[in-house]
Amino acid sequence: MKFNVETSLITLSAVLWIMMVGLAGTGHWLAGLYVLLGLLLIYGVLGSSHKGRFDLKLVAFPALVWIIMWAAAFWLGDHYALAFAGQYPDFTILGFHPSFAAIVVLFWVVPTLLMGFGFEMVKDRWLSQERWDDFVRQVHEPMSEDGDRDKEGQA
Amino acid sequence: MSESAKYLILFSSFLVLAISFGIGLWAKKKVTSPEAFFGGAKIFGPVTIGLATMAAVGSAFAVVGVPGLVYSTGNTILLFMFAAPAFVFGYLVIGKKLRGMAEIGTVASLGDLSDLRFNHHRGIKLILSIMLFIGCVMYLSAQVEACAKLFENLFDWNRFVISAVIFTILIAYTVISGEIGGILTQAFQGFVIVLAGLIFIIAFFTVTGGFGPVLEAISGQQGAAAGLNPDSMTAWGSLPGSYSFAWVLLPTLGIMCQPQVLTRILMLRSPRDMPQLSIYAVLTNMVAGMMVMAVGYCAIYLVANGTLTIVDPDKAVFKVADYLGIVAQLFVYPAVLAAALSTSSLFLSLAGNIVSRDLPGSLGLKIKPARQMATSRIAMSVMGVLAIGFAAVSGDMVAILGTYGFGTLTAATFPIFIVGLLWKGASSLGVMLGMLTALVTTIGGVGIEMLKRFDLSDFAWPGGVPWYVFVMAASVVVTIFASLATSGDKLDKRVEMAMDL
Repeated sequence: MKFNVETSLITLSAVLWIMMVGLAGTGHWLAGLYVLLGLLLIYGVLGSSHKGRFDLKLVAFPALVWIIMWAAAFWLGDHYALAFAGQYPDFTILGFHPSFAAIVVLFWVVPTLLMGFGFEMVKDRWLSQERWDDFVRQVHEPMSEDGDRDKEGQA
Repeated sequence: MSESAKYLILFSSFLVLAISFGIGLWAKKKVTSPEAFFGGAKIFGPVTIGLATMAAVGSAFAVVGVPGLVYSTGNTILLFMFAAPAFVFGYLVIGKKLRGMAEIGTVASLGDLSDLRFNHHRGIKLILSIMLFIGCVMYLSAQVEACAKLFENLFDWNRFVISAVIFTILIAYTVISGEIGGILTQAFQGFVIVLAGLIFIIAFFTVTGGFGPVLEAISGQQGAAAGLNPDSMTAWGSLPGSYSFAWVLLPTLGIMCQPQVLTRILMLRSPRDMPQLSIYAVLTNMVAGMMVMAVGYCAIYLVANGTLTIVDPDKAVFKVADYLGIVAQLFVYPAVLAAALSTSSLFLSLAGNIVSRDLPGSLGLKIKPARQMATSRIAMSVMGVLAIGFAAVSGDMVAILGTYGFGTLTAATFPIFIVGLLWKGASSLGVMLGMLTALVTTIGGVGIEMLKRFDLSDFAWPGGVPWYVFVMAASVVVTIFASLATSGDKLDKRVEMAMDL
């Protein structure tokens, strides 16, 4: 197996899977959730690959912003759950327990809208009409016997 | 509840069934080829696919089981429902590669995709078929059970007869129009769920006055007297933290490789519609999420105030709807039916595809396309009857199997469609070993859970983490390390181009 960046990243993802489940299995489930975020980042980077090049701008927005929000949601959610354990909280946000408010705002509503509308904003960067048309044209060109496209098609 | 109200609710529920049947009949004319019947028609826009995906993912478990869990254990399960950004992430990461594969050859099933990526490897296709089939049985039985519960709440009818009537109509329209009718009926059923969701959200604010009064009610003396736990209103609810872990992980990594999502991407007219599809999918998903939260919170508020008594949490949605009155009932009951129907029709089609195309293909058998359709129709009918029978003899065990379905399908599809599409180094042997691991550990996991259920084992999973998380991890890790240890496959140039998109 030849090691390239993709292979290194996918190997790292396997290590993170083991770490994540290992942490959760030994009772450190919150740490496991943070490892999950690292795993998502790796899949995000791999998914941005185009002909061996990673588009890190596409990873940075919207995926990385989403991942950071989830990290903040986990931290705040846990912080306030512990701070007001077994008692009525000193304050509420939109009527929610502050611990759950962090989940509603930073885990659900804002990241969902950010990802949905953010994807539309980076649509051309993700897949331009030109790149798609090129792909469709090339896959429908006749192939030579060894599976390569005819040289004319490559020109 | 008055008899006239009961029959009005019955009428509104059967109206959903009748319209679904009508859409199925109408869609028959769009089935112009066996490929279109099986799901190879790339003719749908983002609104239809968005609604259909939400409806198929949001099974009866989401509409019936989740509000019950919110009522009894608090916010933990909402982490599962709130992971909507994962839809978009899935589209971002593998959407264009997957849709690109559908341009290369005839792709009407997940087995066809596996064939393209792994050079028609029969072992992978065989294990994929078996795993998907197990997932289908789990999901379908749970939907039958939900339908039975729905009308059991209204009439003193035989559960078996209720399920048989509903599933006969469902099987009829699915058999007639295949995946084309499946998509269109699911889109309609998604619309019904969204409509019910909006009505329930308005009703929630009218009844409770907002989220603050719910928190006050559960924290008060009456809440404690009713056995409700104020800590359930924190981010992690009242269940052990391992559930929060599992219920974030499962949808986040699982949604992007669920058959309900993958097969719908393949039917999208253009991959450039995917960002718009994301918007529709997440907005409708948000309404569904808000609805189940509203139902669960309404149940907490009404019980904590001594207005309602809920003995069986699975009936919380019906109890709350009954309290709210006829307008809510006329939408909630059909919404539960719509959720069950949409998921069922998808898994019936999937089972039909497996039996008529993927399984014979993996065994080296060739069935003519026209015959595949006939085989698929018979398979769907048999599968539906089996699901009704299984649900009838298994009682509430099927509800538990339904929750396992999501994990099983993730373990089956992640190595092929996520690792396989993101990494050219994923070898056929590596993926097959990963899939084999998933199959063996799934059987082991379900077996242990069944033994525990009948008090024949006291085995505890490490950290209290649900078994399917270990299954998913094992299948992915084995796939990757076995691929590293073996040589990668020589890929078709066009497959490489799709993976490079």
